[in-house]
Amino acid sequence: MSSRQQTAVTGIAWRERARQFTRPEIVTPTVLLIPSLCLIAFLILYPIVQGFWYSLTDGSLLRPGRFVALGNYVELMTNPSFWHSVRFSIVFAVCNIVGCYLLGLGLALLMQMDMPFRGLFRVLLLLPWIVPSVVAIVSWRWMVADQSALFNQIIKAFGGSPIYFLSDSTWAVVVVIGIKIWRSFPFMMLSLLAALQTIDRSLYEAAEIDGANRWQSFWHITLPDIRNISVILCLLMTIWSVNDFDTPWLLAQGGPANATENLVVLAYRYTFARNDVGTGAAVSFITLFILMALFTFVLRLQREDRNA
Amino acid sequence: MQLFRLGLAWGAAASAMTISLAAANAAPTVLNFWDMNWGDTAYVDAAKALVDEFNKSHADVQVSYRSVPWSNWYETYVTAIASGSAPDISTGAGFQAVQFYGFGEILPVDDVVDAIGADAFSKGTLEAVKWDGHYVALPWMVDIRAIFYRKDLLAAAGINPPTTWDEFRAAAKKLSNGSTYGVVASGDSGGSHWVPTFMISNGAGMFDKERNAAVTSERSMEALDFIGSLVADGSVNPSSAGYSSDDARGSFQRNEAAFILSGPNLPELVGATGAQTAVLPPLKGPHGDLGTVNWVNNIMIYKQSKHPTEAKDFLRWWSDNQLALWTKGNANGIPARAEYQKDPYFQGREHVADIIKNYLPVAQPMSATAGGTFPAMNEVDGDGFLRTLIQKIWQGQSVADAAREAQAHLEELLKK
Repeated sequence: MSSRQQTAVTGIAWRERARQFTRPEIVTPTVLLIPSLCLIAFLILYPIVQGFWYSLTDGSLLRPGRFVALGNYVELMTNPSFWHSVRFSIVFAVCNIVGCYLLGLGLALLMQMDMPFRGLFRVLLLLPWIVPSVVAIVSWRWMVADQSALFNQIIKAFGGSPIYFLSDSTWAVVVVIGIKIWRSFPFMMLSLLAALQTIDRSLYEAAEIDGANRWQSFWHITLPDIRNISVILCLLMTIWSVNDFDTPWLLAQGGPANATENLVVLAYRYTFARNDVGTGAAVSFITLFILMALFTFVLRLQREDRNA
Repeated sequence: MQLFRLGLAWGAAASAMTISLAAANAAPTVLNFWDMNWGDTAYVDAAKALVDEFNKSHADVQVSYRSVPWSNWYETYVTAIASGSAPDISTGAGFQAVQFYGFGEILPVDDVVDAIGADAFSKGTLEAVKWDGHYVALPWMVDIRAIFYRKDLLAAAGINPPTTWDEFRAAAKKLSNGSTYGVVASGDSGGSHWVPTFMISNGAGMFDKERNAAVTSERSMEALDFIGSLVADGSVNPSSAGYSSDDARGSFQRNEAAFILSGPNLPELVGATGAQTAVLPPLKGPHGDLGTVNWVNNIMIYKQSKHPTEAKDFLRWWSDNQLALWTKGNANGIPARAEYQKDPYFQGREHVADIIKNYLPVAQPMSATAGGTFPAMNEVDGDGFLRTLIQKIWQGQSVADAAREAQAHLEELLKK
C-alpha cells in the first residue's frame, strides 16, 4: 500500500471514530451530564484540591501561609501524637467492626427465627441507631461519668468497687469502643437480616436431608451467601469508624490524656485549637489515603475472588 | 445684574435645602458589635438594653448587637475576618486582641485609653492588652481563679481554712475518706487552670523572661509535683480526669469534695451549697510567694471597620457605662474598671469582695513571666496541651514525664 493510500485509510478511520463520538446517543447524554459534572467538580473536587493545597502550606485560619511541600506530612511521621492517633484509630475500627459484626449477625440470626414479639424486638433493637448521636452519647456519659453514676451504682450494689470509666485511659478506650458498637450494630443487624432472607430455604432443607447439623449449614450455606454483603458492610463500618468524631469527642473530648484521640479528632485539634490548618489538613489527607488504599485493596480482593 | 442676583439667591436657597434634606435623610452609621456570652440569658438582655440606651442617645450612630456563643468562637471570628465581614467592635477572650493584632486585623486604641485615663483601670489590666507599644484593646473584665472551700465540711472535720500549700495538702488529706475527697477538679480547660494557678502561686510560670517554654523549670516543677502529691495522697476525686467543670461543680455540690478551683461566680452556680461556700486566702507557696492566674478579657476594634471613629466613641461609652452588665446581667468575672469594683454589687458579696481584696492584687496572666502578653498566647491558651498535662496528673501518672511532654509540646508551639 502506497503512503497516499495509507493516509487515506487512516483519515477514514479517524472520521469513523469521530462520527462514533458525535452520534446523538453519545452527545445527548454527555451534554445532559455536564451540569451535574460541573456541580460535582465544584462541590467535591474543588474542596478536595483546596484541602490538599492547604496540607502543603503552613497557613493558619487567617493567613494562607507559605508552600512547604510535604513538610507537614514529614513532620507528622515523627510526631508521637499522630502515631498514637493512628494506633487508636486502628484499635477503634477493628474492635468496632468485629464487635458490630458478631453482635449484628447473632441478632440477625435470632430475628430470623420464629419468635413472639419479633416485630417489637426488631424495632427496639434499631433504637440505638435511630437516637441522635448527641442524645445517645451524652446519656451514656451520665451513666458512666463517675462513682455516683448508674453503672457504678450497679457495681456497688454487687459489692464491687467503682470504676472510673472516663478518668482512666484504658477504661475510656473500652467505653468509647463499647458505645460505638452499641450505636452501630443495628445497621449491621438490619443489613445482614436482609441478606439472610434472600438465601434460598431449599438449600437448608437439602442440607438437613443430607444430615448436616445447624453449624454445618451455617458454615457452608449461610456464611458463603452473606460473604459479599459482609465485606461491603465491614468496609463501610471501617470508614464510619475511622471518620467518627462524635463518639470520642462527645464522650471524652479525645481524653483522658489523649487516650481516645483518633485521627479525625487530631485533625480538628490541629486546625481549630492550634490554628495549624496545614498540619490539620495533612492529617485529614493521610486518613483519606489510608481509607482509599483499604477500599481499593478490598475491592480488588473481591474482584479476584469473583474471577477465581 | 438683578436677574443674576435673583438666580444666585435661588441657587443658594436650593443648595441649602438640598443639603438640609440630605442631612435629614442621612442614614445613621451602623456599627456591628459582637459580644461573647459572658453570663446567661440575663447577661444578653442587659447588654442589649445597654446597646438600646446608647442607640437612643446617639441618633447618628446605631449599634447592632450580636451575642456570640463560646462554642466555636474562634472559628466564628477567623472566618468573619478572612471573609472580610469582621464586626466593627467585639469583646473577646484574654489573648484574642493581641493575636488578631499580630495578624494586622486590630486597630490600636491608645487614644481611647488616654481619654479614659490609665488610672481608671485595675492594676495590671492595661499591661495585659499592651503589645508592640500599643494598647490593642480595652480591658473590660478580669476572669480569675480562686480556691473555694466548703465551710460545713471543714468545720465538721475541725479544720481551719488553710493558708499555705502544706496546710492545704494536710487538710485535703484529712478530708478524704474514699467517698468524700479533699479536692475535686476536672479534665477540661477549667481543670487545666490548676497548672498556671499553682505555678504563679510559686513565683513561676510557663515561660521564662525570653518567652521560652519553662514548664520544667525548678519552680514550675515544684508546683506540678505539689498537685501530683495531692493525687498521691488520695485527696483528689478519682473521677476528676474525666470530669467537665460542670461535673466537678456537681460533685462539690453533692458534698463529695471540700475544695475546688473556680471563678468568682461559683457560689451562684452551686445552688443552696453556695451558702456553705467561701474563698480561701491565696495559698502561700513554699518560697513565700502568693499568686493566681487571671485572664483580662478584651474589647477591641477591627481594622476592617469602616467607621473607626464612631467605633472608638462607642468603645469609650461602653466602658464608661457597663456596670449594668454585672448589676443587671450577672456577668462573670470582676470589672477591669477600678471604680466599679467598689460598687455594693461586688462589695456586698463576701466571696467576691475577698477575691477583689486578696486575689486580684496578686493575680497574673499566664504570660506574666514572659514579660507580658504576645500573639502566640491565644494559641497556647487554646491548644489543649495543659489539659493533657493535668489529665495525666489527675490519673496519677508520672508528673515528670507529663511535664516533659508538655514542655516539648510548648516548645514546638512557640517555634511555629
